Amino acid sequence: MATDKTNLQLVVNGILNENPIFRLVLSMCPAVGISTTVMNGFMLGIAVLFVQVFSSCTISLFKNVIHPRIRIPTYTLTIATWVTVIDMVLAAYLPEAYGKMGIFVKLIVAFAIITMRLEMFACKESVNASFWDGIGMGLGFMFGMMALGFVRELLGLGTVLGYDVLGFKPLLFFVLPFAGFFCVGLMMAFFNYVEIVYKRAKRA
Amino acid sequence: MKNILTIIFRLTVACLLAGLVMGAAFIATNKAKKHNIHVNEQKVMLSLLGFSAKNPAPDAVAMHEVYRYLVGEGEGLSMGYLLPLQDGSFSFVTIDLAGTFVAQTPVTISPEKATEEGERTQAVASALGADKPLRYADQTIVVTDNGKRMAYLLPGMFTGFKTFIGAMLALDQDFSIRGLEIMEHEEDPGLGAEIEQEYFKNQFKGKPLETVKKLEVKKMPLPEEYLKALEAGKSGLGAEEVARIQEQYQDDDIYALTGATISSSAVTNGVKAMVKKFAYRVAILDRVLAEQHIATPF
Repeated sequence: MATDKTNLQLVVNGILNENPIFRLVLSMCPAVGISTTVMNGFMLGIAVLFVQVFSSCTISLFKNVIHPRIRIPTYTLTIATWVTVIDMVLAAYLPEAYGKMGIFVKLIVAFAIITMRLEMFACKESVNASFWDGIGMGLGFMFGMMALGFVRELLGLGTVLGYDVLGFKPLLFFVLPFAGFFCVGLMMAFFNYVEIVYKRAKRA
Repeated sequence: MKNILTIIFRLTVACLLAGLVMGAAFIATNKAKKHNIHVNEQKVMLSLLGFSAKNPAPDAVAMHEVYRYLVGEGEGLSMGYLLPLQDGSFSFVTIDLAGTFVAQTPVTISPEKATEEGERTQAVASALGADKPLRYADQTIVVTDNGKRMAYLLPGMFTGFKTFIGAMLALDQDFSIRGLEIMEHEEDPGLGAEIEQEYFKNQFKGKPLETVKKLEVKKMPLPEEYLKALEAGKSGLGAEEVARIQEQYQDDDIYALTGATISSSAVTNGVKAMVKKFAYRVAILDRVLAEQHIATPF
């Protein structure tokens, strides 16, 4: 069962139709815990993008030799391997970036979105399609995290990317973990509303 | 049955492959990683002492590394210190837990090799005789200026929220804190990871030993002017003003980070323990060195 979507459609699918945060509602722990600033969201997004692409390609390459009964352990093993390798390579060759991103990379092993994409997509599709799907999912996750981070940073700290734009702190509440749930809920409602309006306009 | 065997076989192969990939990556990157860590450590040490690339340390300033070991002595334990001597050789001084001098053994090792944990431990073990169990504990760097003690640098580890936090602590001669730097940690970004922010770690600066001994965290918002003084680089406050405000809050507890009380108190307790133990041990070591007339460069 190969996908009939083009590469571009796969990428767009990850960002809009099946956005990991607002549509699939996966990996909520990091989305709620870490999306306190735009920069945090961006860092985690980059880390997820790399691990997702590498893992998707690996699983898709080996899909015929993975025993169906031990799919999930194999996926976890693959993700853990890539996370460890990326962590070591970053530490060795990009120490500056590692100083900022190290803690984000180590968080990824248990992310639901990556396992889910391997199970739903990579284990059935070609390497090429899995690669683009991985890119789409990674970008979709990054987009979601940055959108959440933008709202929370602006309302919680009064800054964007660390620059003071409001000059005061409106509501510290938004930086705290539980506000993440409110933000995700409100933004999900917003995106659903946009979709409804869009469909109505299309029908009319 | 056949199914089980295939599953076992495939899973083993998968694990072996994963292990191979990780091992290869480790071998390929380990050297560069260690080098990076070392370079970073040197930079942090200098910046904690107040030096930088623009303001390099004068030649009179020297760093002397002291390595502490735990030595099994029959039934009990004793502490062993590997010390550099004035003539450039190394000596291993053993002190029992009551604080009395046990033995002094010369150790033959070059200063370059002394920085490598494996070679150093081997040299110490062969000097002591193989039958004594030996375990490396920690290291201290004594900084001297023209032969007089100027500061102590203590690299250390303590438990954080999920795993260990590595830190580097600089103490003045009278054990008041000169500065704290977080070397590595895995606290949650946005919450516990704030321990590496200036407004948290600068709170430790200037606290005297008596305050550190009973240091706790308090869950209160940081006073506005204190925050400005802590982030002097950002707020552009003058050095005099900063010193005045720092002194005013010098005997205060540590203000906990919002949403990360565990990480905050982990760092506070870790620093407290490091300073307390170090002050206690160095007093004993100094007394023994003076009693035995052991000439060290510090």
